[in-house]
Amino acid sequence: MTREIDGGMTFNEALELRLQEAGWTRREFLRRVAAVGAFAALSQLLIACRQPGSPTAAPSTAAETPAGSQAGQASTPPASTAPTPVPQPESELNVYNWSYYIGRDTREQFTAKYGIKVNYDKFPDENTQISQIRRDGRGGGYDVTYPASTWIPTFIQEGLIQKLDHSLIPNIKNLLPEWRDPAYDPGSEYSVPYSWWTTGYAWDPDKIPGDLTSWDALWDAAYTNRLSMLDDMRECFASGAFRLDLDPNTTDVAQLDQILAELEAQKPIVKRYTTDHIAAMLNGIVDIAHCWSGDWIQMTYDKPKIRYVIPTEGSIKGNDVFVVLSGAQHPIAAHLWIDFNLDAQISADNTNYIGYMGPNEAALPLLKKYIVDDPRINPPAEMLATLIELKYLPPDDNAKYLDRWTSLQAT
Amino acid sequence: VTSSTAEAAADAGIATTSGRPRRPGHGLATALLVLPGVLWLIALFLAPLAIIGVFSLGSVDPNGSISFANPGFGNYERALNPSFLTAFGRSIYYSFATTVLSLVIGYPVAYWISRYGGQRKILLLVLVMLPFWTSYLIRTYAWLIILRDDGVVNGLLMQTGLIESPLEFIGADVSVILGMTYGFLPFTILPLFVSIDRLDFNLVHAARDLYASGRGAFLNVTLPLTMPGIVAASLLTFIPALGDFVTPDMLGGAHTITIAKIVQIVFTTGHDWPYGAALGFVLMAITIAGTLIALRSLRREVIGTAA
Repeated sequence: MTREIDGGMTFNEALELRLQEAGWTRREFLRRVAAVGAFAALSQLLIACRQPGSPTAAPSTAAETPAGSQAGQASTPPASTAPTPVPQPESELNVYNWSYYIGRDTREQFTAKYGIKVNYDKFPDENTQISQIRRDGRGGGYDVTYPASTWIPTFIQEGLIQKLDHSLIPNIKNLLPEWRDPAYDPGSEYSVPYSWWTTGYAWDPDKIPGDLTSWDALWDAAYTNRLSMLDDMRECFASGAFRLDLDPNTTDVAQLDQILAELEAQKPIVKRYTTDHIAAMLNGIVDIAHCWSGDWIQMTYDKPKIRYVIPTEGSIKGNDVFVVLSGAQHPIAAHLWIDFNLDAQISADNTNYIGYMGPNEAALPLLKKYIVDDPRINPPAEMLATLIELKYLPPDDNAKYLDRWTSLQAT
Repeated sequence: VTSSTAEAAADAGIATTSGRPRRPGHGLATALLVLPGVLWLIALFLAPLAIIGVFSLGSVDPNGSISFANPGFGNYERALNPSFLTAFGRSIYYSFATTVLSLVIGYPVAYWISRYGGQRKILLLVLVMLPFWTSYLIRTYAWLIILRDDGVVNGLLMQTGLIESPLEFIGADVSVILGMTYGFLPFTILPLFVSIDRLDFNLVHAARDLYASGRGAFLNVTLPLTMPGIVAASLLTFIPALGDFVTPDMLGGAHTITIAKIVQIVFTTGHDWPYGAALGFVLMAITIAGTLIALRSLRREVIGTAA
């Protein structure tokens, strides 16, 4: 883990790596530093940084001894009469996931159950994730990752992910019926849903009293310099589109120009475009933050008063899925990982911790009330129907967005 | 005077026209000695540059890889987006302010180490470089902690009653310039030190003997003779500062976005490497042109008159 910041990494990614080396998460880092004070914390850091790397070693991309079911079976005595043998899982697994996006001890439980070592790497934003797994066109050495469902058709076309063996994922029966045959991946051939979210904004009622309901709040000059927007091109354009009553998936140039004008009008009051909005809210850097539903739940762990709303003009919903990458060196362990996470209790543990609603029917009775009963986290069907999924944009359309997004950022 | 100036300039990385004496008859040995450097440059500078150049003519295909089905200069047209002038102007402003501040802070430090460092010179120079032992990211995070609303600076100011409510440093130009100056200061001090250390102080004494005031001797002798160091230090600070996006990103906010950050957005958010490559090329061309023009006029003024 001696990669440097200018080696094609974003600084967020580099920071994440650096903190990972020290065995910390970013929020822990911020919290500790705030608590102990700058100097004490820095000396701590110096010590922490010199310590040898934590168990989150980078996955080795070198070919290992032929693992996998075939090899495992070949080495056992040829018992041709035996029924279909259970494939032998590999001893390791390389997982690549968002920060704060898994139950507190899911990894330990998995290792305890299967004896498989989990090498767990985190990415701070989607761009990092996509560039890492595309690095070699086969997953960048990872076995399992958690992309947004909108990527699935592209990933299949690219050959980046592999077909799933449903016989190794019996717990897939736990999914709610509406999640069993998603439009982005009919028959769940390549992916299994993990969790889903809504987009809205969170605010601190101590600083901003009253009920906020509309996207207009994010354009209210009263919150000048107290507002953060998601550092997410599509989400920002979607917020502008809802304000103008346009389709958030529009690729019409005139409409995109209208949305850009809307975002340019908003920019003077924006303090920062960030995906580090949880820390920004908790540290009082901003009082109102464009964010995803689970982020809000995570904010309330520290500041229970913080409120969240899905704006009435409409908003975005989306979901993340498990995929097994085509270059996976531990495919059996990868399937076991997915199956394990679909277990009712494990799935409930994940959902209860991360605050993002899961698609698991068997887990519903085990979910915390404040998650499963909250219409902002688990919207009722009629509300869900009004929320829109962001679609994948082909390069030409992506360029239309990108040129406007860079203009917005530059000015 | 001439030789020491030229040497200092050469040491500081500035080419001078006089150069070193040629030694005919050592062609092969010279070629062999130069070879590794040339290979290094080809493999790690020219080849990547050529790859970026080729990339910049392509486009992204639906699989996210680079396609050359319709090569052309479309990406360069996109790179000439007039909105980018604002971000570019901001980059120049931050870099210029950083360079000036670094020179103002760094010159006395370098001067002091050179003249009064005595036997501890090496130790003092190591101290200048000491921050490099910690990741720049971590150090910038420390500035975030110092400068933020409930940070050390605001805490002190409020405790002493100088201000009522915290000053918003984070997100403002001042904290970006402060962070960048902090980060680039060692790059300024080292060339300045080399230049000042090479200065023959007998010349300063001679000036004083001839009734120059301390100020006069400094302005007419010390400063002109260390000008090559100042030029080198400025370049070594200004050019990397121009490419900095980490500091403006961390200590700044929505209104401190530099052109380097735009390049980063194109590569990461945009997944558009050909466009990013074109943008990078345009920036590089501007930087090189600017540096050459600056160097040319400076050389005439500084090194030219000395020689």
